[in-house]
Amino acid sequence: MALKALDIYKLLPKKNCKECGDPTCLTFAMKLAGGKADMDLCPYLDDAAKSILGATTRPPVRLVKLGIGEHSFAVGEEFVLYRHEKTFYHPPGILFKIADTQTPDEIRAVTTQVLNESFTRVGVILRFNGIAIENASGSADSFSRAVETVEKTADLPLVLMTADPVALSAALTHCGTYRPLIHAATQENRKEFCALAKQHGCPLVIKAKNIDELAQLTKDCTADGVQDLLLDLSPESLQAFIVRSTTIRQLAITRSAPDLGYPVFLDASVMEMQDAAIALGIAKYASVIICTPLSSATAKAALTLRQNIYTDPQKPIQMNPGIYRVGNPGKDAPVLMTVNFSLTFFTLQGYLESTRMPCFMLIVDTEGLSVLTAVAAGKLSEMLVKDSIKKFALEDEVSHRKLIIPGYASPLSGRIEEATGWKVLVGPRDAAEIGEFLHEEWKQ
Amino acid sequence: MGFDVQFGWSGTITVVMLGATKTDGGTRRISYRIGGGKTLPFLEKTPDSSAPLIAFEICDDPQNWSPIVRNYCGDKANDCGEWAKSADSVYGADMVRLYLTSTRQRNFSDIASLGKTVDAVLSSTSLPLIIEGSNEPKIDSDVFLKCGEAGEGERMLLGTAEAGRYRSIAAAAMAYNHAVIAQSPIDVNLAKQLNILLKEIGVSRDHIVIDPYTGSLGYGFEYSYSAMERIRFSALKGDADLAMPIICSAIDSLTVKEVREAEPAIQDDIAVQWEFTTGLAAAAAGAEIICVRHPRTIPLLRKAFSNLKAGKVSDGGQ
Ligand code: B12
Ligand code: SF4
Repeated sequence: MALKALDIYKLLPKKNCKECGDPTCLTFAMKLAGGKADMDLCPYLDDAAKSILGATTRPPVRLVKLGIGEHSFAVGEEFVLYRHEKTFYHPPGILFKIADTQTPDEIRAVTTQVLNESFTRVGVILRFNGIAIENASGSADSFSRAVETVEKTADLPLVLMTADPVALSAALTHCGTYRPLIHAATQENRKEFCALAKQHGCPLVIKAKNIDELAQLTKDCTADGVQDLLLDLSPESLQAFIVRSTTIRQLAITRSAPDLGYPVFLDASVMEMQDAAIALGIAKYASVIICTPLSSATAKAALTLRQNIYTDPQKPIQMNPGIYRVGNPGKDAPVLMTVNFSLTFFTLQGYLESTRMPCFMLIVDTEGLSVLTAVAAGKLSEMLVKDSIKKFALEDEVSHRKLIIPGYASPLSGRIEEATGWKVLVGPRDAAEIGEFLHEEWKQ
Repeated sequence: MGFDVQFGWSGTITVVMLGATKTDGGTRRISYRIGGGKTLPFLEKTPDSSAPLIAFEICDDPQNWSPIVRNYCGDKANDCGEWAKSADSVYGADMVRLYLTSTRQRNFSDIASLGKTVDAVLSSTSLPLIIEGSNEPKIDSDVFLKCGEAGEGERMLLGTAEAGRYRSIAAAAMAYNHAVIAQSPIDVNLAKQLNILLKEIGVSRDHIVIDPYTGSLGYGFEYSYSAMERIRFSALKGDADLAMPIICSAIDSLTVKEVREAEPAIQDDIAVQWEFTTGLAAAAAGAEIICVRHPRTIPLLRKAFSNLKAGKVSDGGQ
C-alpha cells in the first residue's frame, strides 16, 4: 500500500543535495508519495530503501518514453480506471505499420504520410505518432534495410517488430540511439532481447497470452536490467483485449500486482476488426496502438476519439479570453461576444469565416463552459462582459458601441446593456445562421 | 490463476423487456431482454447479458433528416413503412426507432395520422419498436396516448421523458404497458432524479431505459462517455435507481463539421466511421441500445459486438 510522505522521507539520505531536481529531500518525498516522481532520480538511495520504495512509490503504471526529439512521446503514468475519477494523462501513440517486404517507395510513402498528415480540431493539432516495421521477410538484411529507409525519411518514433535477435541487432545499428520500441520479447528470446534493449537503452514490449506469464516475464526482464516495458496481451478477440487490459489496469492502479504496472501495447492490425480494435484500445487503456495506414475517414474518427477520451474532464479545452479578429476588421466592424470553450469558439469562428465579413470576436472567460452551460451555471454575467470590454480595451478597437451576443444568452441582454452602456443585439442561437443574421441586421 | 481482479460489485443492471412475441401477447417475431449485467461491459466470464442492440432510426417526415442518409436510402425515406421494412430485412437492425417528426410542424394537430403511421410500421416489420413522440408539450399527451394505443401489447419503448415533461409519456406507457426512455443532460444525478420521479408516478424500474444524452464524437462525447460510465458504476455499486440499461443516440453525428464538410467521395465513409466509433465506445462505457442513422454502420457494429461477446476469456474480473 502507498506510503505517506513522512515515512518515505525517513528512508531518504537527507543530504538535501538537489540532485533529484527537488530543493529538499522532503519535497522529493512528497512527490514520491503522490506517485509524481521516480525514486531513481535520487542517486544516493541505499538498496534497502530502494526495495521498500520500489514497489510503492513509482507511478502505478510506469512512464515509458518512445523516440527522441520533436516527435517523441511518453505513455503510462496513469492512475485511474475511469477518466472521471481524475483524468487520463498520456494519450496512446498510434503508429502505422509497414512490412520489410514492401518496396522502399511504399515504405517512404507511409512514413511521409505519418510525418506530414495532421488534422486540427478545436485548435489542437492531431497526428499519428510513428512507424512500426515488421520483419515479415524473416531476413535480417531486409529488416535492417527497411528500418534504414524509414530512418532516412523521417525522425519518427519506431517500433521494431521481430522475434529474431539477429534481425533486431541489425536494425538497431541504424536506429538504436533513437529509443525505438522493441517488439517483442517472449519467454524464448528473452535473454537476447533484454541484452539488446539494455545495450541500446530501448523500451521493450513483452508478449504472452495470459497475465501470469506476463507478470513472470516482467520480473525476469527487470532482473535482466530492462525497466521500460510494455505489455502485449496478444488478445484473440476484442473481448479478450478488454478483459485483460481492464484487469491489468485495475491490478496496477490498486498496486495489487506491481509486476503488471506497465503500459499496454496493442497491435490492432492483427485483430479481426482493426477499426474497432483502435477505438476500444483508445477507450480501454492501450498506450501504444499499431495499425495499417488508415483511410482519412477512420483516421479522423480515431484521432477525435483519442482527443475526447484524453481531455481532462475537469478542464474543457479552452481559449485564452481576449479579442480575436476574423479577417481584417475596421473600426466599424461588428463585435460578437462568446465564451472561451474551444469548441464554441471554433464553431463560431468557422461560420464567421465563411460569411466573409471581417469582424471582432470578444471571448470572455467562462472557465471553458459553453454558452448554455455558462448561462445555466451563472458563469456568464453582465459583470463579466463589462469587465472583459474594459480589460481587453474593446472601446479602442471600434468606433461604435454595439455588441452581438449569442441567442442562448438572450436572458442577459437587458442587464448587459445596462452594465456596459453598449447596445446589445441578440444573435441567432445556432451559429450556422450567423451569416444571414449579419447581412440582415448589421448593415442598418 | 494468480490474478483475478475483484471489483466487489453488488448490483445488477435491471432486465428490461422490449418487444412482445405471440407468447407475450404481441406480434413481434422476437423480444429482447436487455440488462442483467453484473460487471463492466464485456467483462463477464459467463455471459450474463446479451450483446448491445442496434436500432435504426427513421422518421415520418424526413425534410430535416441528414441528406447523407436520404441520398443513401433513396425513396424509401419518404415512406416510413418501406423504410422500416428495409431496416429489418436489408440493413439488418435489431430494432426500429421511429421519430414522429411530422408532429414538429407548426400547429400540428392531425393526431389520428400518427396511429396510422405506427400501425404501418408495425405491420411492415416484426422487429420491436422505439417511438419518439413530439417536441411540443402541449400535444404530448395526445401524441403518446395515440402511439401507445396503436402499439398496445407490443411492449414498445417510448421516448423521450425529461425532467420537465414526463407525465404524459409515463401515463401512456403505463396505460398500454410500454417502456420509457428517460433522458437527462449528461449528469448522473439528474438521471437518478428523473428515474425517481418516474418511479413515484408508477413507472416500474424494469420499464425504464436511461438516455444520458450523447454528444457526438468531437462535440461533447467525452462528457457522455463519462456519464455512461458513472451510471454503470453506480448501478454496479448497488444504486437501484440508476441500474437501468442505457440507450445511446448520437443524433448530431451526421451534422458535425467533419461529416458535413467532408468531400463527397468520402462523405458516407466518414459518416459511418463517426457513428461506428461513437457507438462502439458508448457500448464500452455501458450503453446497451446503440441507435444509428446510416445503414452501413449496422453491419460494422454487429461484427464488433459479436467479437466483444466472443465467449470464454481467461483472466477476467467479476
Ligand atoms: C456538454 C454539456 C455540459 C458539460 C460542460 C461542457 C462545457 N464545456 O460547457 C457539463 C457536463 C460539465 C455540463 C454541466 C452543466 N450543465 Co450542461 N450541457 C452540456 C450540453 C450537452 C452540450 C453543451 C455543448 O457543449 N454545446 C456545444 C457548444 C458549441 O454550444 P454553445 O457554446 O452553445 O455554442 C453554440 C451556440 O450558442 C452558438 N453561439 C456560440 N457563441 C455565439 C456567439 C454569437 C454572437 C452567436 C450569434 C451565436 C453563438 O454557436 C454554437 C453552435 O451553434 C448541453 C445540452 C445541449 N445540447 O446544448 C447541456 C446544457 C447546456 N447544460 C445544462 C445544465 C443545466 C448544466 C448544469 C447547470 C447542470 C447539469 N449538470 O447539467 C451544469 C453546469 C456546469 C457547472 N460547472 O456548474 C442545460 C442548460 C439549461 C438551460 N437551458 O439553461 C443544458 C442545455 C442541458 C439541458 N437540456 O438541460 N454541461
Ligand atoms: S537527490 Fe536524494 S539526497 Fe539529494 S536532495 Fe534529492 S532526495 Fe535528497
